[in-house]
Amino acid sequence: MSELGVGRPTKRRAGAAVGGLPVADSRPVLDGDAVLGSRCTVCRYPTTQQGLPWCPVCYEATEPDRFARTGKVWSSTVVAIPVGTRRPPFGLAYLDLDDGPRVLVHLAEPAVLEPGARLEITGTDDGDLVATRMEQ
Amino acid sequence: MEQAMLWGVGTSAYGRFPDQRVESLAWTAVAEAVRDADIRPDAIDAIIVGSVFGPPGVATRIQRGLGISSVPMWTIENACASGTSAYHEAVEAVRLGRFKCVLVLGVDQMSTLFSGAIVPEATDPEGASSLPLPGLYALQAQRYVSEFGVTPEQLAAIAVKNKSNGMDNPRAQLRDTVPTIQEVLDSRMIADPLTFLQCCPTSDGAGAAIVGGDRGNPDDLRIEASAMVSGALWDQRSEDVWGFASVARAAQKAYAQAGRSPQEIDVLEVHDAFTIGEILTLEALGIAPRGKGAELAPSGHTTRDGVQPVNPSGGLLSRGHPLGATGMAQLAEIAWQLRGQAGARQVDRHRVGLVETMGGGAAGMDGNACVVTILSAQA
Ligand SMILES: [Zn+2]
Repeated sequence: MSELGVGRPTKRRAGAAVGGLPVADSRPVLDGDAVLGSRCTVCRYPTTQQGLPWCPVCYEATEPDRFARTGKVWSSTVVAIPVGTRRPPFGLAYLDLDDGPRVLVHLAEPAVLEPGARLEITGTDDGDLVATRMEQ
Repeated sequence: MEQAMLWGVGTSAYGRFPDQRVESLAWTAVAEAVRDADIRPDAIDAIIVGSVFGPPGVATRIQRGLGISSVPMWTIENACASGTSAYHEAVEAVRLGRFKCVLVLGVDQMSTLFSGAIVPEATDPEGASSLPLPGLYALQAQRYVSEFGVTPEQLAAIAVKNKSNGMDNPRAQLRDTVPTIQEVLDSRMIADPLTFLQCCPTSDGAGAAIVGGDRGNPDDLRIEASAMVSGALWDQRSEDVWGFASVARAAQKAYAQAGRSPQEIDVLEVHDAFTIGEILTLEALGIAPRGKGAELAPSGHTTRDGVQPVNPSGGLLSRGHPLGATGMAQLAEIAWQLRGQAGARQVDRHRVGLVETMGGGAAGMDGNACVVTILSAQA
């Protein structure tokens, strides 16, 4: 079989992580002791989405806000295949921040955690949020 | 409103065909659908194409081999629901009298774009954080398992059922052997708890359908309902696992249109890209109560000789998943089942059928789109 598609540009925007062109980073940002985002000035809906035209829940104005680094696991998994530059195994969790949005985090230790387990976002790895289990 | 009918269906084979052209895959499906509908190509007065990774201008590149010129034609991208989204637009257009005979096509050729797992979308926060689609479904599964106590064996039973069905589908990509539940569980882990044999293969293929008005042909299938919904926010306020609510919204609309209850559906083709997907979908469709979906396959309810067979074609787990084509492949299977043309896969009761396709992956939304359609054979 010929090397169809190899070395040719495709419609797919792979991103820098897998050798494509860089794209704007849409991931949540950790700033010291807080995760950056915005909150609705009326209904208080929190989100880490950037540059919103209005609150996606009630259409009122939003303002920048800072969210706690701590929260509870909604669900978690350990991925056993390579994805982009990530080498397996790596743990991922949806984490409901205590006063804020649900964010996807990488787990410092790859393991499936029970929903409700408390995590703290302790840093970033190449722009990904990294969380660690809090001692009970 | 006009009554929309399904006049004909056709598909390519499904598998890895990197040495074929996207057009060739599409033409195979279109030719079969046109023959099946028993029309001349110049009866087609609009073309709607669903494709995710097709090249720019994919519809026109296909059109130039068909000799169908100047008609309205467009392409829809709604992730895995692209094909059925195109179908839904055709149904709506016929209902409104806009067109009399629409060619719907779903096509994708994945083998020339990806080797191994699909690279997540780099512009999306979840994609940028290396969340692959099986990882998203694994997060669904872990949450669901902890809430309802589903066992690994119940998850694996979906793969065994669908891969058994796929053995009788000559167009399916995977039909070498039927694994045991233990073999499914022992296959290599992709994203805990989903093992390799619980994930659909990436594929190449095309599916086509001819949708038109009621021309008095008793072989045409009555489109009782077609409902399409886009995603809604899925976030910290969501108690359902990702994707569940979008399927439920589409299902409610479809049942209301058809005036039917879930119990009246004889045979279903649903989106089983991963084993957990079939379980959640059947609950969202009301085939099982919440938390009971995992019991359907082991109990035999959804096997081919069961009360409500699900994925008699083998589903995505056997057929493969050429994203834009998947919904059209599901539609073709339901058409063959309702007409009694499914050969070794034929189910006993086959008057009313349902197709569900769910496309997702955009972070923070409960799906990109979901389509549910209900069809019936004319009595
Ligand atoms: Zn608001």
